[in-house]
Amino acid sequence: MHQNKLNAVFLVLTLIVTSCIKSFTPNIESGDLNKIVVTGQVNLGEEIQRVNISRSSPISSPEYLPIIGCSVEISDDKGNVFVLGDDGNGNYTGQIDQGYLQAGTSFRIKIITPDGDEIVSDYDQINACPVIDTVYYERKDVELNTPGKYSLGIQFYVNLDARATTSRYFMWEAYETWEYHADYPIEWWYDGVVHHVWPPDYSRKVCWKTRKIQHIYTLTTRNLTDNLFNRYELQFVDNLSARLMYGYSLLVKQYALSETAYTYWDQMRINSNQQGGLYEKQPLAIRGNLRNLTHPDNEVLGFFGAAGLRSTRIFVANVPDLPLDFSTYCSPSALRQGLREIGPSDYPAYLMGNEFGYSLVQLNVECVDCLAQKGGTNVKPDFWPN
Amino acid sequence: MMKRLIVFMSVFFIMSIVKAQGPEKLISCHVDKVSFSQFSDWLNKESGVQVFYLPSWVSPIKVTVHQDQISVIDAVKLAIRGTGLEVSAWNGHLVLLKGEKLITELPLYDKIGMASDTLTEQAKELTASEERYLTGRMADVVQTIRVGKVGGNNFNSKAKVLGRVLDVETGEPVFYATIYFPELKSGAVSDINGFFSVMLKPGKYTVLFEFLGYEKKKYMLDVISDGELSIQLKKAVIQMKEFVVYGDRQMNIKAKDAGLDKISMKSIKELPMMMGERDILKVSEMLPGIVSAGEGSAGLNVRGGSSDQNAFYINKIPIYNTSHLFGFFPAFNSDIIKDFSIYKGHIPAQYGGRLSSVFNIVTRQGNRKHFTAHGGISPITGNIVVEGPLKKDTCTLLISARSSYSDWILKKIKNPDIRAGSAGFYDFSAAVNYDIQKTQLSLFVYHSSDSFKMPEINNFNYANSGMAMSFSHNYSNALRGEFAVIGSQYSFNTINMQEKSSAYEHGYLMGHYEAKADFKHMIGGNNALMYGAGTVLYQLDRGNVEPFGSQSLHNRVLLGKEQGLESAIYLADSYDPSPRLNITLGLRYTIFNPMGPGTVFTYQPDSPRELRYVSDTLIYGNNNIINWYHEPDIRASVNFETDENGSLKLAFNQMHQNLFMLNNAISIAPNAQWKLADYHLKPSASNQFSFGIFRTLARSGLETSVEVYYKTTTDYPDFKDGADFLESSHVETQVLQGTQKAYGVEFFLRRSNTKLEGWLSYTLSRSMVHISGENAWDKINYGESFPANYDIPHALNLVLNYHLSRRVTFSSIVAYQSGKPITYPVSVYYIDGVPQLDFSKRNAYRIPDYFRTDVSLTVEGSLKKHKLMHSSLIISVYNLTGRQNPYSVYFTNENGKIRGYQYSVIGVPIMTATWIFKLGNYASE
Repeated sequence: MHQNKLNAVFLVLTLIVTSCIKSFTPNIESGDLNKIVVTGQVNLGEEIQRVNISRSSPISSPEYLPIIGCSVEISDDKGNVFVLGDDGNGNYTGQIDQGYLQAGTSFRIKIITPDGDEIVSDYDQINACPVIDTVYYERKDVELNTPGKYSLGIQFYVNLDARATTSRYFMWEAYETWEYHADYPIEWWYDGVVHHVWPPDYSRKVCWKTRKIQHIYTLTTRNLTDNLFNRYELQFVDNLSARLMYGYSLLVKQYALSETAYTYWDQMRINSNQQGGLYEKQPLAIRGNLRNLTHPDNEVLGFFGAAGLRSTRIFVANVPDLPLDFSTYCSPSALRQGLREIGPSDYPAYLMGNEFGYSLVQLNVECVDCLAQKGGTNVKPDFWPN
Repeated sequence: MMKRLIVFMSVFFIMSIVKAQGPEKLISCHVDKVSFSQFSDWLNKESGVQVFYLPSWVSPIKVTVHQDQISVIDAVKLAIRGTGLEVSAWNGHLVLLKGEKLITELPLYDKIGMASDTLTEQAKELTASEERYLTGRMADVVQTIRVGKVGGNNFNSKAKVLGRVLDVETGEPVFYATIYFPELKSGAVSDINGFFSVMLKPGKYTVLFEFLGYEKKKYMLDVISDGELSIQLKKAVIQMKEFVVYGDRQMNIKAKDAGLDKISMKSIKELPMMMGERDILKVSEMLPGIVSAGEGSAGLNVRGGSSDQNAFYINKIPIYNTSHLFGFFPAFNSDIIKDFSIYKGHIPAQYGGRLSSVFNIVTRQGNRKHFTAHGGISPITGNIVVEGPLKKDTCTLLISARSSYSDWILKKIKNPDIRAGSAGFYDFSAAVNYDIQKTQLSLFVYHSSDSFKMPEINNFNYANSGMAMSFSHNYSNALRGEFAVIGSQYSFNTINMQEKSSAYEHGYLMGHYEAKADFKHMIGGNNALMYGAGTVLYQLDRGNVEPFGSQSLHNRVLLGKEQGLESAIYLADSYDPSPRLNITLGLRYTIFNPMGPGTVFTYQPDSPRELRYVSDTLIYGNNNIINWYHEPDIRASVNFETDENGSLKLAFNQMHQNLFMLNNAISIAPNAQWKLADYHLKPSASNQFSFGIFRTLARSGLETSVEVYYKTTTDYPDFKDGADFLESSHVETQVLQGTQKAYGVEFFLRRSNTKLEGWLSYTLSRSMVHISGENAWDKINYGESFPANYDIPHALNLVLNYHLSRRVTFSSIVAYQSGKPITYPVSVYYIDGVPQLDFSKRNAYRIPDYFRTDVSLTVEGSLKKHKLMHSSLIISVYNLTGRQNPYSVYFTNENGKIRGYQYSVIGVPIMTATWIFKLGNYASE
């Protein structure tokens, strides 16, 4: 909105005079420029506990700036201390025996950075996480903005039944994995000379891709009489991609949070839902639960929490009544002038063909190599059904 | 002074309209610190009048006289003021004597027929012609006006005198003229229809009438009983300058309201103009305590209040968008404005509904004697005003129209996007006033419209329309009533298509329908009662946000309609316990009812107001009352005149506001929606204490004032972090209410009636918002107080006019403001590989400071009194230093990198030339 007006004003003035827009680098106080960022959570229900330590970077050149070489200790309110090891790239991991991870126990983190800054978090208490009641999906058509037009797909829901616990603050994370196929095996290819692979190479025909759904799902049942919530909406998967073609799996992690952790993640949820220009909405500054003891004025971003965790996985294949409508990344092109159309920069070039011979049709790499899609792997995940 | 003996004389002969010769000859006299002998030599040369005197008597006299039309004898009287000398006319020459007048018969002469036309009298024993005979022919004798009938009143009781002040030429009422009784050291001010009323014990009084731009009049008033009188003031064609100054000065000291600013049209006319347009709102930004949001932005912030806390009225019609073209031009044609007042401290009880200020604009009524026209052409706009009597002396018409013609310039721009764009605006107003003796009837219609289209980027259209009909009547000499019905609408339509995926269209319409009655009642000579009642029906159609274009993924949001009824009664009493002290006490009681039809969500207790925590849905039928808000406002002010040159003003002001603007941008965008208080959103309330010291320095004539204020606002609405008001019709999910504190000190220094005049104002102020509810989600900025979006600690303005001659004036403006607060994205960090923006605390940073210098040169046409048309040429340079003041700082995401930009609306000096014409002479309106 603000932006529109700027443009409008800009136009008016260009007519008459020279208005001017020039690059502006705000004079940000150094304390704001590179804050230490700590994220991590002790999860009841996981073997390995992970913490990530990095620095924020200037908005003009955003980059991930890991802080390595920190000494990281997680301690509980009973005096036990667990040391985490440096895995590089800002990741620190360590094992905490499940015996120490009990609902009601509070944990906090203490970090000493290579610069000597001592950073601590507040204690955050583990809340017992109820078993995930059910995760399920339903066929759903979502009306698009053009009236009468719908996006077809499936909607995932989670039912929460936390009556067995006192936890009232929940967060879900979802990870989707799907199988996808390249259209052809590798059979004919050309690098100045035509090669024939026989039998055809199917190793790169089937891949799986996993990604974290960036949406943050939070819920509190604080004001509900019963600690129950049905049909909490998770991910919607439409029919416009290959995701529902060969099999789709959703891993749902359910966290029972403390109230402060909930507030933090709920704000992150609001921020990540932002679409549009930066100034169309009121910007949101999110504050976590960490502080720098050495330099108390330096704010520390992020949150260190402790939570009960349960997870479940659901598989989806052959959704009835859902015609898929997608195209693969494969777009063969005819070589009207023969193989000489293919220059050395395109080597190796793949050709359409069968066991008897090739045709003058070039296949782009996505047609034959599912690994060409970023993030894919041709190693079948161990949870994947046969 | 170094220039002690420098003789500086500048004499302008205007035009001899005077038949009289000798001592009564009118001359233009400008002498500065000359010896009396030089002065008398000069007089002799100019008028042929010899002054006879003993050199030893006059040797210490240094003469300083600045008058454009003064008789020779009066000039000499001024020159010898205070020396104990007396001047007498003798055979067409003048003689100075010590302490006595020359004993001789005064020569008989006509006083140029002036008096005979300017005095009419009603309800009296003598006929007008008799009176004229008795009084009009006597030179130097103050004319006596007799009011009432013998035996008409009980002798012991005070007589109620209703007077009216009219302009002798146009017949229009002269309002805010001061009527002053030196013996009583008290007086009155004429109202908007020229009426004034006073309570006087029967007896004789000297009375002075004065108003800016008019000749001062002095009469003897012989009050016998209740009665009426009418005075016609004559425009001081030449002496305007002097009166403007005196009037203003009088206003400062005597005006009863703390924090009342009045701007004379003359001072507006002489300020440098922006692209050839006079902007009264820009002038008001030069006053202490008022700042603008920046170039090209609508909206003013008065004493640390947000821009929706100001009410703008033009002849009672509320205007919800006061600017054309995003704030570059005012939505009113300055040429029709007669009076412009800004109330920012003590706001009279008749006004309500806004926290910070009332901007009241009264237009002229139109010439009652003959038709006339004037207009102007600037690089962007042309405007014309036509006015005249529909029926001589009783019914007048005034029509003004203004339109931009800027589209042709667009076509010259090479950039095809812009070439395809269009921008334009127009406004129109018409006034009919019917005035018969004690009854006035008026109709005022106003319309303004803006259209701005930039293909592929955005379209804005917005319009104000209004109509006000009012009837006023003097029921008795002491009671006057005014009734008005008012309708006003504001609408806009926006299409934002900058990003195809989020393009949307939004239309909005609000209506304001008002009826009110106001009474003013004199009770006793020193007590006036004001009371009245009014009701406003607001009807808002907040419209629908529709995706625009087939590729848009923008949500369709129905923002809905709402209604509200605001009813108020008020009573105020202005009492003068002593001539030097005025106490005004007012109470205004408002009831505000949001009304159905409407659907209200209630939320679970102890949870944020978010749609997922809705506990119940309340459905209200048409006109069903959703909520009751009762709001008593106390308005009190004390004005104490410490002496002739100074006064102290103390005020306590309570205000309530039921209507808010949803706007999180720094300035007011044309698509900012107004929103009523509702089931959840409470009306805001403010308490302001202000104290001011006003003093005119007797020796230098400098007007000075210092005012301090402290204002607290409760239920001040501000946006939650992450709020988006196009996302939901339920504003309560986007807004939190808290307190706002504003305080400051305003310094003002003005020098006038000299060749170099102008003012200097400096404001030191803060405006802080504190929103800290019980729960974490009821806090903004973690419950810490933060600077309001318009918190400007320092604002310094200097306005200077240098009159090179009567026809040539050089003006300049220097303005400085601290940069506005802003929330910056300060850095980027990653959580699970997802980039996140880290924002500073709310408004923790400031954009760079603002500084601007403007200059202009006005050349008036000849000052002949009798001419068909007067024209003037104004050449002005805006932003002389070419400083690139940031209008805003914004950030865009470019390939994952966030880049900051500073946008300067005007980064170079701009020169414009404007030609203004009007029928009649320099002083014609």
